[in-house]
Amino acid sequence: MTNAVEIRGLHYRAGKSFEIRNLDLTVPRGSIYGFLGPNGSGKTTTIRLILGLLRARAGMIQVLGEPMPLRAPSVLARVGFVPEQPHLDPTLTVRETIRFREAFYPTWDGDWAGRLLQAFDLDPHHPFGKLSKGQQGKVMMLLALAQRPDLLVLDEPTDGLDPVVRRDMLSALIDYVSQHSASVFISSHLVHELERMCDWIGVMDNGRLVSEMPMQQFKNGIKRLLVSDAPADAASAPFAVLARDRNGATTETWLVRGWESPMRAWFDGRGASLQSIVDLDLEDGFVELLRTFRAPREQEVR
Amino acid sequence: MFDQIDPRSPTPLYAQIASRVRVAVAAGTLRPGDALPSVRQLAARLRVNPATVVQAYRDLETEGFVELRQGAGTFVREVRAERRAGERAHQAATLVRRMVAEAGRLGVSIDELHAAIADEIGAKSP
Repeated sequence: MTNAVEIRGLHYRAGKSFEIRNLDLTVPRGSIYGFLGPNGSGKTTTIRLILGLLRARAGMIQVLGEPMPLRAPSVLARVGFVPEQPHLDPTLTVRETIRFREAFYPTWDGDWAGRLLQAFDLDPHHPFGKLSKGQQGKVMMLLALAQRPDLLVLDEPTDGLDPVVRRDMLSALIDYVSQHSASVFISSHLVHELERMCDWIGVMDNGRLVSEMPMQQFKNGIKRLLVSDAPADAASAPFAVLARDRNGATTETWLVRGWESPMRAWFDGRGASLQSIVDLDLEDGFVELLRTFRAPREQEVR
Repeated sequence: MFDQIDPRSPTPLYAQIASRVRVAVAAGTLRPGDALPSVRQLAARLRVNPATVVQAYRDLETEGFVELRQGAGTFVREVRAERRAGERAHQAATLVRRMVAEAGRLGVSIDELHAAIADEIGAKSP
């Protein structure tokens, strides 16, 4: 089975200041892949490369098993895209916008578009440009879903929208995915939304993929440990120490990766004691990961 | 029933969903023959991965709480009274373990905890 998206050794450069170097990224087919990263880290650029909207200098991109941008027409017919900023004609009504889009997609599901129009409580006669931001977001989601894509690429689809609109949009997305087992590639700053629905997580920072793994592994592996009489040398530890901070005369906070509970024995053998183990949620894990990735003394992040 | 699932908790979402169903069966809120929401409905309502709901239902089936009828849906099975009582005891133990741990962090002694529980119960049912 091929992957929904596969990127190998990708190199892209825009001007002198920004580049994506040696990017490898894999979105398994059928997964809901959450794409995290601070502003300016290269998420939207990566998305535009996946869609064939930008040309890479080197490397390979395959989407739904076909090379991009070479096979862009046949690939994009099977990909639903919700961009960060709507790029639709503001003078067309919602109905006209839907009709216009429908003409490009033989797989278009008109019944479902009609049902979504009702579920989203959209007025078909309203011009797109006069809709609220939330209503515009719903139209974008409707268009992406009604074309019945095998892959949905969503660039911050719900960021900046109110909670009711976000719920409606994501429920419709999940409803679609459970019927058609489509793959989803979604970037967002709303980490808790991703935490609910994603089974894979990729983290970008400064044009590089810092981490990519199943969600459960990401959440389970990173822990914050409170250690008293901590040993100075942690090189022999069975887990990776991402960061350590002194927070008292005898206690330190360690951020570790690859933790499993039997590993507490390692501390006992070194005259140290493990006071507590704190689970991190996705947001904490993400923030800590970036902090340690950016710290110059740390190399062991991947 | 599923309103309090917490994506930030270290307990995986599928385990939280399965636990909600077990509690409802143990408490009698869900009766034998009752249908659970379809995977599609529940996933969309909770905005979780459909695979998460599938895994929760599969675990419940393995444990004998529900049965999957092909094409019809997922239904609550007859669960013996002792088993339901066992499930409630398990929930009580979990609750107490969490409370005792939290009390320890707050520096509350076991005696003080006992007194507070007695107070609370006295206040609730005079």
